[in-house]
Amino acid sequence: MIQSYRPETLKEALQIRNQIDCTVFAGGTDLYIRKRQWQGAERRFDNDLLFIHQLSELRKIEVSDEEIILGACVTQSEIEGDAYLPEFLRMPYRLMGNPAIRNTATVGGNIVNAAQVADSLPVLFALDSQVVLQSIHGERKMPTMDFVIGKYKTGIQTNEILTHVMIPKKNWTDFYYRKIGSRKQNILSKLSVIVLLEKKNDDLTNLAISIGCVNEKPIRDHEIEQGFLESGAINQLIDQLYDKMEGQNDKRSSKAYREITSLKLIKDYLEKNS
Amino acid sequence: MKIPFQLNGEPVVAETTYSMRLLDVVRNEFGLTGTKEGCSEGECGACLVFLDNKLVNSCMVPMSHVVGKKVETIEGFAKSERYQVIEQAFQNHGAVQCGFCIPGMIMAVENLLRTQTVFTEEIIKESMSGNICRCTGYQLIYDAIKTVIQEVVE
Repeated sequence: MIQSYRPETLKEALQIRNQIDCTVFAGGTDLYIRKRQWQGAERRFDNDLLFIHQLSELRKIEVSDEEIILGACVTQSEIEGDAYLPEFLRMPYRLMGNPAIRNTATVGGNIVNAAQVADSLPVLFALDSQVVLQSIHGERKMPTMDFVIGKYKTGIQTNEILTHVMIPKKNWTDFYYRKIGSRKQNILSKLSVIVLLEKKNDDLTNLAISIGCVNEKPIRDHEIEQGFLESGAINQLIDQLYDKMEGQNDKRSSKAYREITSLKLIKDYLEKNS
Repeated sequence: MKIPFQLNGEPVVAETTYSMRLLDVVRNEFGLTGTKEGCSEGECGACLVFLDNKLVNSCMVPMSHVVGKKVETIEGFAKSERYQVIEQAFQNHGAVQCGFCIPGMIMAVENLLRTQTVFTEEIIKESMSGNICRCTGYQLIYDAIKTVIQEVVE
């Protein structure tokens, strides 16, 4: 029989995490689905559970001049409803799940679960966010795009908890976000794209592009973006992004649909706005 | 283990575990069977309850999240005046057929009224996006909600 731990402080949680091989349980909207059972039966987890949703250290949103810090257990609806956060961050969260799911699902959970269809990952990749990982030995930071290795795979160590996400503030002047699914709300994405632009006096000075659901983890490539900033050649940018695509057909969509549509959306937006 | 919380305004103690779902506890331990289990994955909305005034899918809420909090199920909400308005509108529009999804639908309508100030078609449909009905058809439910909004807000 598994044990469940519900510490009151982060320090206590890190000690438990260090001593026991356990599954960290934040919102639970992914974990419970994976452990379906008959009605009324307790879900059968393979490991002991460490609940972290109640930890006040992980429930804060902090906004300063330099960065935005999101606690791992901030819910998706808290981001959606925070008027101090930029719209390019709030929109992807607003289009995930449905109102009730967003009241439970967390920022950190969507990252650590690392599903191919995780809609927060493209925007977090595009914003050059970093994850903060804590253990009893201290903390380390790494870019979210390096932390996520592939489908359901991350670089988290067995004694670590993802505690925060840090998003550096930049001077984005425009953005484009589009999520495509078989209906508008409460649907897992076939694909999603985000493009962020910074313009000074009509000149494009910075750009970030990320494409979700096509590969096992979102596509983001700084070199390709830099090349486009120098050349302004949209077709070359699209060809280079296409070379990065290595997805497969699955029940939600085909490889071809995902690749062609995401590139068309990016091309169309850049032709009108870059 | 014992987990204390407030259920429909009354302090209660559940004899359960942290990983047990809130849905199972309200149904099996407290006999409140208005909260239904449909899909078990947050898609259908039959299990909706309010947890500290926030709408949640009780099929995906562990009791660990409920410790010391306020839970309101359809049985608790049914004692309010607003429930009467919603019930009447659903009856008048014939928005109920088998009825399985209706407790969840009503909780979602109440959440719409609690969280929104503007009620466009898009906002109503977004708010109801986590509720599935397999027999009545959504138009009658949508019409009933429009009537509720007219009576409550306008």
